[in-house]
This record gives sequence, C-alpha cells and structure tokens, in this order.
Amino acid sequence: MEFGPIWRAMMRSKGGYLLIALQIAVTMAIMVNAIAIMQERSIKMSRPSGIDEPNTFGLVSVGFKPDMDTKSLIREDLDLIRNLPGVVNAIATNSYPLRQGGWSEGLHREPGVGKSVSSSAIYFTDEHGLETFALNLLEGANFTPEQVAWDSDSDDFWPSTVIVTEALAKDLFPDHEGSYIGKTFWFNDDNPTNIVGVVERLQAPWPTWTGVERSMLVPLIRESEFVRYVVRTEPGERDRMMAEVEELLSTSNTDRIIRGVRAMEDTRKLSYLGDSAMIKMLTFIVALLTAITGLGIVGLASFSVARRTRQIGIRRALGATKAAIVRYFMLENFLVSSVGIVAGSILAIGLNILMVQQFALTPLAWYVIPLAMMALWIVGQAAVVGPAKRAGNISPAIATRSG
Amino acid sequence: MLKMTNVSKVYRTDTVETHALREFSLTVDEGEFVSVTGPSGSGKTTFLNIAGLLEDLTSGTYELDGRDVSKLDDTARSRVRNEKIGFIFQSFNLIPELNVFDNVDVPLRYRKFDAAERKRRIEKCVEMVGLGSRMRHLPAQLSGGQQQRVAIARALAGEPRFLLADEPTGNLDSHMADSVLDLLGEINDAGTTIIMVTHELALADRAKRNIFVRDGQVSDGSPDLHIANLAAG
Repeated sequence: MEFGPIWRAMMRSKGGYLLIALQIAVTMAIMVNAIAIMQERSIKMSRPSGIDEPNTFGLVSVGFKPDMDTKSLIREDLDLIRNLPGVVNAIATNSYPLRQGGWSEGLHREPGVGKSVSSSAIYFTDEHGLETFALNLLEGANFTPEQVAWDSDSDDFWPSTVIVTEALAKDLFPDHEGSYIGKTFWFNDDNPTNIVGVVERLQAPWPTWTGVERSMLVPLIRESEFVRYVVRTEPGERDRMMAEVEELLSTSNTDRIIRGVRAMEDTRKLSYLGDSAMIKMLTFIVALLTAITGLGIVGLASFSVARRTRQIGIRRALGATKAAIVRYFMLENFLVSSVGIVAGSILAIGLNILMVQQFALTPLAWYVIPLAMMALWIVGQAAVVGPAKRAGNISPAIATRSG
Repeated sequence: MLKMTNVSKVYRTDTVETHALREFSLTVDEGEFVSVTGPSGSGKTTFLNIAGLLEDLTSGTYELDGRDVSKLDDTARSRVRNEKIGFIFQSFNLIPELNVFDNVDVPLRYRKFDAAERKRRIEKCVEMVGLGSRMRHLPAQLSGGQQQRVAIARALAGEPRFLLADEPTGNLDSHMADSVLDLLGEINDAGTTIIMVTHELALADRAKRNIFVRDGQVSDGSPDLHIANLAAG
C-alpha cells in the first residue's frame, strides 16, 4: 500500500485536504447528533399506546337540545354501537391515548395537603373499558357494573376503586413488592381509593408528558351533552364501522351532531406530527450535508486530477496501471476522509455530551458513530470514483510532452 | 532486442489526419547506444512514445525482447514499461511532492517489490548517481543536473533492459549535460541498451549509432551526412 508516500505528498500541500477533512468532520458531528435526535423521536413515536390501535376509532356526540336526557342517550348509543355486527365493544369516556387532551390528577400515598407523590391521567369508563381498549390485565379484576357510577359533575366525585397501569403502581409504591391489589392512595388531598386491577400498559393522552405511561381507569360515566365514544371493531372492520356508527348515531337522535370520527392511526399521526416533521427535516439536512460533502470531495478530487495530469502521466509511464492510478486517488481520499471522520467523531461525542446536558437528549447509542463512519467512508469513496477513473484514463504519453 | 517493422502512426482529428510515422522500421540490438535525431516534427517523439509503449501504433509490428508487444492491452503494456523500460525525460518529470527516495521508489512500488528490496535498490541507484546524501531532499531543493540524476536513478532502479532518453540534457547547462552523458555512457557500458532522442548533434555524437528520422521514416544515407544536414538546418 502507498499510504506513506501519499500521506507525505498530502502534507506538502495540505490546504485543500484540510478543508475537506474539516467539512467531513462537521458533517459527521451534525449527522451523528441528528441521527441521535431522529432515533430518540422514532423510539418515542413507536411506543405502543397499549390499546388496539388498528381496530379502534373515536367520535364525539354533541347534543344541542336543552334538558336532554343524556344518561338515556348514552345508554342507547352504547347499546346501538355494541350490538352492531363488527363491533367488539365501545365505551363513553373523557379521552383516550394520543388524543393530546384529557384529565390528570395529583396522587397521594397518605391524606393531606401538599403530599402529592405522583400524578396520573384519568380515563372514565365502565366495565367495558378493558375490552374496548384491549388492555392486558396483569392482576386483579375488571370493574363490576355496580362499581360504575354516573355523575353529571365528576369534579365532586372520587371513585373508591380504580384500575391502574403497572407504571403508575410502581411510581406510587416504589418500594412495594408483590401484588398492588388493595393498595390505597388518595386523590386530591383526602379522597381515598383502592386499586382493584393493574394493566400492563395504557398511555396518557399526552405523548410528550414524561409520565405518559401513568394512567388509570375510573369507573364513571359523565352525564353530559358532550360525549366521547371509543369503539373497537373486529379486525378489518374499522373503516366500514366508522361510517356505519356515524350514520347510525346521526339518525338515532337528531338532537345532536356527530363529529370528530377519527381512526386511532390518524390520531397517532396527528399526535406525533411535530416529531415526524422533525425527523423529515433532520433527514433532509443530513442528506443535504452528506451530498454537499460528497460534492466537495468530487470537486477536490477533480481539481487534484486536473492539477496533477502530468504527474499521473509520469506515473503511468513508469508502469502504473489504470487500476493503480484509481487506487492512488481512492487511498488519498480514504486518508482525508479518515482524518475528517476521526475529528468528526470527537466533535460528535462532544456535541452529544453538550446536548445531553443542555437539552436532556438521550446519549448516543454505541453503534451510531461506527455507522456514520462507515457511511462517510462509503460516500467519500463513491464520490472519488469518477475523478479517479478519469485520472486512470490519462495517457502515459503526456510524460513526453514538453512542459 | 527492439525491432519495429513497418510501423505507422496516424493522428486523426475531425478534419486533419497526420502521419507521424510511415512504414518505420528499425532494429536495435542488445547493448547498443543509439541516438535518434531529426528535425522538429520528424516523428522522433512519436517513435519514442511507441518504443516506450506510451502510445499505440496504427499499423506494423513491434517486438521487444522477441515478444510482439504491438497488440498488448493497457495493463500488459504498463507491466512491460515497468519491468523492461526506463525513461529519462527532458524536463526530468520528478514528482514535486515526493523526496528523492520516494521518487525513485515510484516504479518499484508498481513492481510490487517488498520494502527491503526497494530500499536496497533505491540506495544503490541514488548512490550510483552521486546523490546519496540528498535522499530526503525534494526536487525543488536540487539543481537541474541533480534532478536529472534522480530521474536516471529512478529509471535504473527497476534494472530495465532498455533506457529511453528524451532530450536528456535539454534543460541542462553544458557542464551538467556532460556529466549526465558520462553517466549514460557508464550505464551503457554496464550492458543497458540506450535509445536517446535528441536534436543536439554533440549528444548524437556520443552514441555508438545514429538514426536520422525525417517525415516519419528512417532516412537513408550515412549518419554523418544526416548530422551535417541537421547542422545546416
């Protein structure tokens, strides 16, 4: 290998090479940290909400007639929906995961003002909540119909039983080992409640919330003109049922309007719109930077070939094959890229430490830097192939031309 | 032995066809020191390029060491150049970023000698041309004569059968030119065949045989007459 002579030759006219190495280093640092951000967002976006998203949709019924019998209306609506062929189950609730709007409450391990130790999202539901959300009950039991209350003003009502997520149970009782069933905690300073069930996962409505995994089901249906329904269908039936349920409710009672019929897939997309846009933007920036770096390498290599046409001819005259000339430029680029990549790796790690400290970014995964190194080496080598081939085609007869 | 038979070389552009060599035939025996002279545009450099496998010939045959090399592919031609032919150019053609050692090393690396063998050959040849103390000097730090000596060391390091010299003293003053020619004489005496293209009569006179080229052909007549003609312009 000709590393030694190539390196020594480069060191005697290092300006252009240093600039390209610097460009590669900056690209590497930005690329690595952009990938780290994208990776973090992507992991966040791919977290399961805990419900059967592909087969679930939500809708809202808004009554406009004064003094409506909302309790009857909700019962009728739920009966109609649940009896539709293709529907697995349905509930009336205040919110659902990823909706970005809902209720939360501070929780206490003992009664008293200012003793909140945790917080949780609250989903109102009846005994159909577990099946509608398709939750995995780890321990305990579902609500009984008798435990489900109806209330028009839920601010004054605090249930005596709840089903909590495992994450919430662990957060409330971090030192507890064994079953959480029967454990008591307090709402709103001094309203006690008992855990009757623990589910594996049910995300809160706010995906950006740090406590997104902490939520609970509360056995309550609010009597209100504004009712949010969640419907779970048989696999493959969702789109058909969305139209059918909307039509059914619209015609069953004309004193209300049905709106916001939205599949969970769309709710998820809307919920992560910012993250999705960030990933797209960073992908574009990384691609653009990589392309600019690639073009820079092409430019330097082309300039280098043009400047050294005679030298290449001399090498050819002295016995270099076309492949040897191509190899020379590939090696030269490999050395420049390596300098940039090593410097870029140090820069990337430094930048990541700063971002972890300043913006609570997740530290780099161990494999990101090796992957970025490989990518930039490949880009560098690919960028230099064209100019190197042109160099290989330079005639050895140039050596005998005067100049 | 170098043997060209009826070699022609035609350069073509869209509008012009130039016959640089026409039915050119020449035989150079092993160990000869031959000068090739002729007026400007006579085809001397084209002959050198073809003899050195730097260019294809258009027609005819070219044998080098008994092997027909006129139809070799590019890779094979590079290999023959590297193994059998040493070049000395008018403008030295050293690589400016490389020091003396690395310049002489260039053809040896293409020959794939190991590092120890390359070092041995480089030191031997650079010592032979009297520049052993300047091994780490860059070309820009050497005089013209010294640069040409480095070029000669580079040409000899591969122990070629043929040395092709293109106006080897063209860029040197007379003192330096003499020392380079003396060196070429010594190399020839050691058995290396030398073909030297030049338009300088004094140089041609140092060769053991002179070939005169005119209009792309080896001209008939005695070398002395040709030299006299050349001198007359």
